[in-house]
Amino acid sequence: MRMSRRSLVTMAGGTILAAPALRRAAAQAKTITFGGSVPLSGGAAETGLNVNNGYATAVKFINETFGGVEVAGAKYRLELKLFDDASDPSRAVTLIQRQLDEGVDFFLGSFGSPIVLPTAAITERAEKPMVQAGGGSDQIFTQGFKYVFGFFPRATRQFISTADFMHSLKPALSNYSLIFTNDAFSKTAAQGVINSMKEQGIPLLESYTFPETITDASSVLASIRAKTPDALVCMTHDQDNLLLAKQMIATGTNVNYLFQGLGPQLGSFRETLGAKANGIFFQTYWDERAPLQDKFFGTPARFAAYYKANYTRPIAYHVSAGAACIVTYIEAMQKAGSLDPVKVRDALAGIDISTQYSRIKFTEQGDGDPVIMGPWIGQVVKGQAEVVAPAAAKTAEYTYPTPAWDKRV
Amino acid sequence: MNRTGWTLIGLVTLALAIALPFMVMPFYVRVGQLILLSSALALSWTLLGGFAGYWSFGHSAFIGLGAFAGGLFETGVLPGTGLWGFAAAILVGAGLSAAAASAVAWPILRLRGIYFAVAMLGVSQVLAELNNNIDAFKGSMGLVLPRLSAFGLRPEAFFYDILLLATVTVFLIALWVKTSRLGHGLLAMREDEDTARMLGVPTERYKVAMFVLSAALTGALGVIYAHSLGYITTSSVYRTDFSLNMIVYNLLGGIGTIAGPFIGSAVMVVLTQVFLGRLLNIHMFVTGALLVLLVLAAPRGLPGLFRRR
Amino acid sequence: MLAIQTIADGLVLGGLYALSAVGFSLIFGVMGVVNLSHGAIVMIGAYLTWFLWHAGGVDPLLAIPLVMAVLFAAGYAAQRGLIQLAVERSSLLASMLLTFGMALMIRNTLVLVFSPDLRSITPAYAAHPLILGAVVLDPLRVAALAASLVLLGLLAFVLQKTRTGRTIRATAQQELAARLCGVNARHVYGLTFGVAAAFAGASGAILGIVLPFSPPDESLWTLNAFVVVTLGGIGSPSGALLGGLLLGLISTGTSQVIGPSFPNAMMFLILVLMLLLRPSGLLGNAFAGSR
Repeated sequence: MRMSRRSLVTMAGGTILAAPALRRAAAQAKTITFGGSVPLSGGAAETGLNVNNGYATAVKFINETFGGVEVAGAKYRLELKLFDDASDPSRAVTLIQRQLDEGVDFFLGSFGSPIVLPTAAITERAEKPMVQAGGGSDQIFTQGFKYVFGFFPRATRQFISTADFMHSLKPALSNYSLIFTNDAFSKTAAQGVINSMKEQGIPLLESYTFPETITDASSVLASIRAKTPDALVCMTHDQDNLLLAKQMIATGTNVNYLFQGLGPQLGSFRETLGAKANGIFFQTYWDERAPLQDKFFGTPARFAAYYKANYTRPIAYHVSAGAACIVTYIEAMQKAGSLDPVKVRDALAGIDISTQYSRIKFTEQGDGDPVIMGPWIGQVVKGQAEVVAPAAAKTAEYTYPTPAWDKRV
Repeated sequence: MNRTGWTLIGLVTLALAIALPFMVMPFYVRVGQLILLSSALALSWTLLGGFAGYWSFGHSAFIGLGAFAGGLFETGVLPGTGLWGFAAAILVGAGLSAAAASAVAWPILRLRGIYFAVAMLGVSQVLAELNNNIDAFKGSMGLVLPRLSAFGLRPEAFFYDILLLATVTVFLIALWVKTSRLGHGLLAMREDEDTARMLGVPTERYKVAMFVLSAALTGALGVIYAHSLGYITTSSVYRTDFSLNMIVYNLLGGIGTIAGPFIGSAVMVVLTQVFLGRLLNIHMFVTGALLVLLVLAAPRGLPGLFRRR
Repeated sequence: MLAIQTIADGLVLGGLYALSAVGFSLIFGVMGVVNLSHGAIVMIGAYLTWFLWHAGGVDPLLAIPLVMAVLFAAGYAAQRGLIQLAVERSSLLASMLLTFGMALMIRNTLVLVFSPDLRSITPAYAAHPLILGAVVLDPLRVAALAASLVLLGLLAFVLQKTRTGRTIRATAQQELAARLCGVNARHVYGLTFGVAAAFAGASGAILGIVLPFSPPDESLWTLNAFVVVTLGGIGSPSGALLGGLLLGLISTGTSQVIGPSFPNAMMFLILVLMLLLRPSGLLGNAFAGSR
């Protein structure tokens, strides 16, 4: 018994050690490799999987349909080389170093400042660009990085369009209350809400802070029922927003305007709440019906169709954003006429193109231009996530004030 | 093998370790960093755990305390002072961890076994929650730490060297403890605390001393780790998996020994970073399976497998 | 009025907490094993129920017996196949690590099978607020409180009145004596784990109706179980209930008085204080010495 156990462990160890020697690097013609990490386990995995699928869709589509891309007269296939950072910064920095050692020149970012900041510092030092469709908190863009680009405007600027919309509502909103969780993104986004709403002149009634994961909001909701704010803005993540919505419904906590930053965009969210989801406002960065043009995919509708033909997972705006990261890189490479990371970086800094996700233009610090890449206003209408403002992008009319929970059918 | 033999092996290993950054690619230097950090942490843990028999399941409390105390002090009180600020941060981090440990030592060390383990887990969770939810501690927004280097070294080589220094220090301290009278007292305590006490071993003093020492070293390591990342939030340092890893590495390498932490962390870090690093979405499963395998197949650690008969 | 609302909310929340600790307490009390995969088992219960509801339209409350049966079998197998071996070969503390490994494996599997997206079970008879005077209550949570009372009562009945229950308690108190009386201790431990897993799964089913869930929640529920059991007492279903209710009250009270971001910190502080002052909990029978 003991002998066999010992030899079993030795054999297992030997196999694991031998494995890399057995792997052979596939012989490739010319390829452009994109490296980086996505969180596929841990709390951010839902978005991580969407972004990952977006990257993969773009790479697959371009390789299949066009056989690759042409840069400076030579043809290249695209290759994705991502790892799961498990939302663990020490793992992320170690494995990204490996990719740098292996000669990866172009990086796709993870998200969440705890991962992005340490890894960006490394790629920045190595002078390799990083384009990421996540991680919008301000700190990322105030470190003086020159090689880091983000698709979303920094968190404090993400509420500008929504505040503007809220200001335009009739009857006018008399006040609002704010809920947010204690994590870097939600806090900076909440600060953005406060700034933007102040500019629009809508007073803050009360602000409630939750820990990173919410299990119970009953005391906060009791306070909201007592103070009756006109509007409630929830800057939390999807699971927390769903919990808030469910508890609000179950306790009959009503407001005239409910905004939830992340959540209503997801099919599973709306399905859970059923008809009660109708009327919830949110922000969205993309809709497959939008009138946009992409050099490779054509329209968002075509992109969505290709995605759905290859994946069963419902589409979300992060998928589109991920795909657009790849397209943006390619266009920058073609504009620079080179695969030199420094030249590509310069091309990215000055880029202004149209993709199926959005027009792409970065600020000087590298985050998305707040007007061009800022969000649209969305509302759940008849169970679908519709765009209700601005007029150029809208797909449905909005309802305001929203009916009470028990009146929604 | 006699003393001279071991010392020789030690010196050769040290020489190789010092030369490493010049011989291999930066990725392996980072892996080396992780091995050193994990070994040092596991060794600090085992001062209390393996030597005295008090298994703390919440040592990440001190990693976090050290990291934030040191970091806040450095950025708040001594900004722009480079390496001096770093050194001060290490002292502050270690000091505050030691102070915190002293404060709770008396009541918490009255617990034994699983109760002590869970109590420490609770302590680390309380600290993590307070760190994250009280704005002054900057746990949720995060703390940006100054970028450091010296002698023109690349950052990964610089931190590698710092960690090497730290690990050697912890190693020497552990060695001294083990071979001293204190160490023998601890061994007696681990086997049967009440009898040891009856025989005159000053168990109370020894326990508290080990607890405080372990906390201080862990706190110092926390500061170094935080600087190697450059930006920390509560969740980067107050991590339950760090607490558990410290124990796993000791179990794997042989609990109660000084070589144990090194063996355990080398094996696990290489496995999870070098080999499992390529697996996109099943690495958590494989890590869990390895843990299960470890407990079942090698209950006395890897050395136990080879030592049997 | 706010005070009464806070107390009511606390009791109702406490029902959820008590539910989540069912089973954890049993395993620790009888076998001395800290089951770090407890939360993962709760999640399996939630996902199984969700799957039956989503794919088969099975009402979640009706699905509970099936979920319990499946998890009983799995728990029995896990205990006899893995955990028993760990305890015998290594130590109790090491078995804690084994259960942690199991938790990682279960969590990753859940992510692979069900995707990391959040899920929630919404049965047809859902939500009109329950209004009692000036107090507004979430009917689903009240139902969860009732369910936890039923489940805990059932567990207490099994332990006190049935032969199996008495055998379990006897083996927990004095394994050697029980074996001398002809009890197959390993089988009993297997049964214990199976029963505990079954109840954990049932609580997962109910939690799945009340709260949106995703795989990373498993660590949260394990931690909750820790605190509840430490507060209320080990090995005792009434202890789990008391601990859960207390925890719920502490949670809402802290939220109201100190601030909504501090309930978790307070919860763990109480855990530590409880361990320092009365490790066996308020109603517990500590089967092994704590000092």
